[in-house]
This record gives sequence, structure tokens and C-alpha cells, in this order.
Amino acid sequence: MAQVIVVTSGKGGVGKTTTSAAVATGLAQRGKKTVVIDFDVGLRNLDLIMGVERRVVFDIVNVIQGEARLNQALIRDKRVDTLAILPASQTRDKDALTREGVSTIIEELSADFDYILCDSPAGIEKGALLALYFADQAIVVTNPEVSSVRDSDRILGVLQSKSKRAEEKKDKVKEHLLVTRYDPNRVERGEMLKLEDVREILAIPLLGVIPENESVLKASNTGTPVIMDTESVAGQAYKDAVGRFLGEDLPHRFLEPAKKPGLFQRLFGGRAA
Amino acid sequence: MSSQTLPEAFRLRAGNFNLLVLRLLDPRPEAVLPALGDQFRRAPGFLRFAPIVIGLADLEAAPEEVDFRGLVEGLHKLEIVPIGTSGGSQAMKQAAQHAGLPPLRAVGAEAEPAPPPEAIPVPPAAAATEAAPRPDFSGSGRAAMLVAEPVRSGQRIYAQGADLIVTATVNAGAEIIADGNIHVYGALRGRAVAGAADDATARIFALNFDPELVAIAGFYAVREGLGDAPIGKPTQVRLEGEEMRFAPLG
Repeated sequence: MAQVIVVTSGKGGVGKTTTSAAVATGLAQRGKKTVVIDFDVGLRNLDLIMGVERRVVFDIVNVIQGEARLNQALIRDKRVDTLAILPASQTRDKDALTREGVSTIIEELSADFDYILCDSPAGIEKGALLALYFADQAIVVTNPEVSSVRDSDRILGVLQSKSKRAEEKKDKVKEHLLVTRYDPNRVERGEMLKLEDVREILAIPLLGVIPENESVLKASNTGTPVIMDTESVAGQAYKDAVGRFLGEDLPHRFLEPAKKPGLFQRLFGGRAA
Repeated sequence: MSSQTLPEAFRLRAGNFNLLVLRLLDPRPEAVLPALGDQFRRAPGFLRFAPIVIGLADLEAAPEEVDFRGLVEGLHKLEIVPIGTSGGSQAMKQAAQHAGLPPLRAVGAEAEPAPPPEAIPVPPAAAATEAAPRPDFSGSGRAAMLVAEPVRSGQRIYAQGADLIVTATVNAGAEIIADGNIHVYGALRGRAVAGAADDATARIFALNFDPELVAIAGFYAVREGLGDAPIGKPTQVRLEGEEMRFAPLG
């Protein structure tokens, strides 16, 4: 049986899709058969971040509506052969998703994959609810900022009450906190929430801290999941997070401000660490 | 045979509701209505078409002195919908019933406790969106409901007829309500409403006192009104007359 993992946050723009792409790629690099599903119907982005936008023929809505078979819609990654992507539709809206349709897709994927990642849209409406409904585990992506923390708190409550596991009164969804866009310098200046504060409010195990890093934007624009940029701090932090997800005990890195950033480092922040 | 194939027309179920109580102190509608209209004008839309219960316990008047029909009419003009009465003598209840106001029985209340006369009602919060656990009344002594998980933004927990003990944090945007006392062995960052069934002796205890709002028996204080309360410290909140008192714990 595959493990279903939802990548969620409540708030938009915190790094769900970046995280979905990075974690899915990281798991696949470890030899796990992994598929990542874009649930953001109408605002599809995952295919861009994964660099497969030119290979999209069918999407999740086509599969749900019986216009295409699942295998026709799945895009196999060319870099990592254990990785596949199921894109969202850009021309429909979230109402095109149905719980039965998603259930069938997840069941079918379960036979072939070890991990099914669900990249949730922002909000707590239909698309987000469907993305988390079937989850066994949740990666809650949070920025060190009060509104993001509160929205994550809200989504944790939703996970506890509206997921399939909650409805069927099974073991609760296993929750992981991933703090992204963490800037130790701004934390030190008091402009960002401290990691301890975020952990204290959300009170779930910490999977990782991804530092604010220019390599993320570059990775998005070139369609390469940032975890493949092994030189960058963000890529390394994601790699650590994947390791921890698989049970490794790794120390958290990149939590302190870099000492005296030189001109070179400021220009090429990712490269210098 | 045919009765078996008929679709079900209704289901009868018990339900609990949060209602505002208008405690009458003066039997004359002409004294009550203008003041009421004035108060509601300051909160426009707040109570439009809100169902309201008329509290009779504080009324020191003979039943025949109370113009229930005039009151009902006046309330309707203010777009407030009276649906029944609570408290009061048997004769008073009957008089109200003749004006179409049936007596309602408060949950868990056998006798109406003497209420603080100028209680500010807490507006009923938006309908609970997440399922709240049911209180567990097992064990002896006073019932208490125990919550061991963080209460998260958007969640609402009500310990009906019981104390509420939370051994984790209550986050901003969450709401905990108890008919009895509230204990939070963590940070209280959301809203806490104790003595919700009008128990002015209820108290709120929090290890880390940092709330958005606290209320006891209808008296409330928002964060800005907490004054010199020991924010961030172990704190006890209680009602002294109509004053809310904040004292450090331990």
C-alpha cells in the first residue's frame, strides 16, 4: 500500500508546490516509486516547477471524467525514473474534482507507487479538502510569519476533523512541520518569527527548515526541482528533510545567520553555503 | 405497504442552541424598547432578526403589570425575534405564554441562578465548523471534559455542564467554552468563555495567559481591555461583582 502524503498550508505562496516537487524528487532519488499529483485545478503550477509543462497531454480532470486513462495522463520524469507527475487541468475549476474520482485514482496509483504526494491548493475549500482527504501523512508548509502560522494551525484542525482517517476514526494523520523561507538574519532582527515560536504554536514534529534562498526562484524558473541543486542551501535542506522523512536522524542546519556575508555570497547566496 | 415506501418527511432530534437572553428589569415596554433600540443601533446588523429569549427572573412586577404583547410587537419592530421566556414565576410564565412566548428550560439549570443585573451578553460565535469532542462524564465528582490536543484556529470546543481542562495550547482563532471552569495547562491564545450557563462563580486558569478574549457568565474582556493583567504569566480570572479580576497564579 502506498503512503498518501498531502503537502498543505492553508495560506498561498508559502512554498507548497516547491516543496511537493522537491520532496517527490527526493523520495524518488532514494529509489522510492513516487507520484506527485497537482490538485490546484485552474491554477496549475506543478508541471512548470517540475519542468514537464510541454509534455502535458491529459490531466487529472480528464481521468476523473473518463476521457483518458490514468496511464495516459501520468508523465514520467526524464531525470529520475521512479518519479511521475499527474498534472492539474488549467481550464477547469475545482468543482471538476470529485471525491469518488480522486479515490479511484489514488487506489489505482497505490498498486504501483510507494508514495503518492498531493500538492494542495491554498485555502480550505473543495480543492484543498480533497487533497488532504485521503492523506496518511501531512507536510504542513509554514513561513515564519503570523498569518501563515495561523492558517497552518487552521489546516491542522481541518486534518483532524475532515480527513478520511478522522472520519473513519482511524489513527490520526501523521503531521510534519516544514518551515520555509526562513531567513536567520531577519529572525535576528525581529522581523520574522523565531523557529521556536512557530514550533511552540503548531506543536507538531519538525521535518525541516528551508532557508530563504535565491536558488528556489531560479529552480522554479528553469523547471528543475530545487533539491537537484545540490550546491544550494535550500536544496541541501530539502535533502535533509527527505532523509528525516525516511527516518534518518539529521541535525537541523542553516538556522544561524551566515557569518559576514561577502559580496560574492550576497550575489550568489545559494552557491556560497 | 404504502407507508413503507413513503419517503421520510421529517426527523425529530434534540438540539442545543446559543441564544441571547434579554433580562427584563422593568415591566414596561416603553421603558425597555427605546433603550434597547439605542443599544442595537450602536452595533448595526449585529442582532438583526436574532432570536432572543426573554429572561423573567429579575422582574419584580406582578404578571398583570407586564405588557408581553406590546413587548413582542416592539421587539419585532426592532427586527429582534423573541422566541420564549426563561425563569420567572409560574404565573409570569403563563402570562407570557398567552402572548405566544413559551417557557424555555436552560440546559443543566434547575433553578435560575441570581444573575448579575447588567451582564453584557457574549455574541454567539459563528457556527462551529469543526466537530468538537463530546464531554466524557465518566468518573465521580464534578464532570470535566479533558482535551489533550492543541485546540487550533477555527476549532470550537464546548464543555456542556462541565469544567474544561486543556493540557495543550489554545491557539489564536480557537474558542473554548465551558459551563463550569476552564483550565489551560499551556498557552491560552484564543477565546475562553467560562460559566457559559450564567455561572458567575466560574473561573479561568491559564499557565500562559495570552488570550484574545475572556468571558465569565456573559461579562467579557477583549485583549485591549485586559489592562494590567499578567500577560504571558500563569493567571487566574474571576468575576468580582461586575469586575473581571486577573491575578497571578501561585
